[in-house]
Amino acid sequence: MAGQSDPHQSLFSAEEVEFIAEDETVEIIPNLRMDALNFICGDFGPFFPQIATQVPLWLAVALKKRGKCTIRPPQWMSVEKLTQVLEAERDSQRMFEQLPFHYVEISRLLFDHARDDIPDVYMARSLIEDIRDVRFHKVETNLETLTERAFALKINNLSAMEVNIVRPFVGRALQAFYKHDSLELIPDQERVSDRRPQVANNATRRHLRR
Amino acid sequence: MYGRKAFQLVKELASGEKGQLTPYNSDLFDQVTAECSQHHLELQSLIRKIQEEGLDVQTTRNSEHYGSLIHHLSLVRNKRCLMAYVYNRAEIIRSLIWKVGPVLPQEIQERLSHTEEEYFKRHSAALQSYMSRLDLDLTVDMVPPKDPYIQVRVLDDIGVVLSDDKTTNFARHSMHFLKRTDAEQFISRGLMEELTD
Amino acid sequence: MAKFYDMDDIITDEEVVSVVFEKAACGVGIDPSSETDSVEVGSKVELPFWLAHELQLRQAVSMNVPTCFNQKTRLEIQADSACVDLRSRCPFFYEFGCKIAPLVGVRTIGPLLLSAFKSRYKEVLTKAHTAAFPAASKHLTILTKEETNLYEAAQSSMTAFKRWRMGGPRFQRASVLGRKRKSTD
Repeated sequence: MAGQSDPHQSLFSAEEVEFIAEDETVEIIPNLRMDALNFICGDFGPFFPQIATQVPLWLAVALKKRGKCTIRPPQWMSVEKLTQVLEAERDSQRMFEQLPFHYVEISRLLFDHARDDIPDVYMARSLIEDIRDVRFHKVETNLETLTERAFALKINNLSAMEVNIVRPFVGRALQAFYKHDSLELIPDQERVSDRRPQVANNATRRHLRR
Repeated sequence: MYGRKAFQLVKELASGEKGQLTPYNSDLFDQVTAECSQHHLELQSLIRKIQEEGLDVQTTRNSEHYGSLIHHLSLVRNKRCLMAYVYNRAEIIRSLIWKVGPVLPQEIQERLSHTEEEYFKRHSAALQSYMSRLDLDLTVDMVPPKDPYIQVRVLDDIGVVLSDDKTTNFARHSMHFLKRTDAEQFISRGLMEELTD
Repeated sequence: MAKFYDMDDIITDEEVVSVVFEKAACGVGIDPSSETDSVEVGSKVELPFWLAHELQLRQAVSMNVPTCFNQKTRLEIQADSACVDLRSRCPFFYEFGCKIAPLVGVRTIGPLLLSAFKSRYKEVLTKAHTAAFPAASKHLTILTKEETNLYEAAQSSMTAFKRWRMGGPRFQRASVLGRKRKSTD
């Protein structure tokens, strides 16, 4: 029921992030002949056997499920590329490698539905898991450095799912920092009878981290 | 201490699990309203005293004034607690229709007061008529489905149910292939479970 | 008024502070040490914050610093802020601190809240994402309400992600129904 997805917890549920990711395009090689499809999101096809074409991920998965195409895994999903990314992620304590914004969702969808189209699927899968773990660990380390001087946090190249996981925590934590920091400007004794603590106007000395 | 009972009322609701209803505590609620009347009486008698002494109620700051002030503040506090109790319960009750549907299971129903039951009935009736005018069921799951049908197992004897064009006998332990939207309510009420491969 | 119906705010307001009456009040039973139904000037009484606050605004009482923010506790908290049991001192430590600080005019409360939160939130973060349930539960008992909320926010979004990754049934029995009753075969 609608009440089962809790809008208070985080802005998007993981399923919704996945839904958004399904609009990313992938290359498929159809094995059927079919007229062009005209959707609200655009026109795809016409489809000819053995001729590669670009379609949104959801369409690719739907065709794949019915055995009408093979999916060409994106370049970044090759074992070679992923190994490079993993090494680079491990080398840098702070920086994040550039990966597609939806790499977590895309890779999961492809591993679930197009396993036979991915070379070295087990290797690729465990590499992505490792990359995700390393990155998430870095995110945590990054979050441990929050201070009252930061009212926002900027981390480059973070992916959709990674942001979604930490969003509820970060939002709350920053709010708490902001609230307690404003207390520094405590009214003096003579203003004690003021009804409300003054809202601190200290935005000028705040700055973005990195 | 003044206001302690009202506080206990709120505390009782707040200490339940998030989104869970505690049984409606009419006993404590009535005690708090009685306390309110008592404060009101004492407040009035203190004010009368000030007037009898020929003083201006607006400006006098004697011990009667501060006494009546304390009664006034306690009244306001009690009122806030009572309203918060009713308001927060009403919020949970409204959320039930989105979580278990328009028919409340026994175990929840018995935690409501009569007025709350009535409130739930009218609220769900209002929602139903709004949805029928829209011709759209707003209470179904918000996550975009991958497949409109799901496999379910029946956990309790539900009996014969009429849906769309056919009747189905949902006997305990039987398995069915259903439209997601038809199965949702049964699952969230714990009468069916979704099967995945 | 935004928090009028907020139950946490109501509970915070029930925290006890000790006050000294600067004006006499009669016809009230709030001073247990008094034999009559009145409070004399100079009596020391423990009042809930909601009452003490309003009386202080009207200069009828003067508020003392509550025990959970006095010098002694402050030093204790500063010594080992990450592991101090704040919940037993005051479950709404931060919220209450924010309310009380401008009223008692103690400038050190603000920095105390900030430094306590700063050294404690990291622990909350790591425990929420890594620790298995039984291990974390001991740590949970020393957290204030705000910290528990923070823990739950981090924890539930992580579990939601893991559930998504594993796949499985989308629909479940509504959590309002409680966890009882496993179907008996």
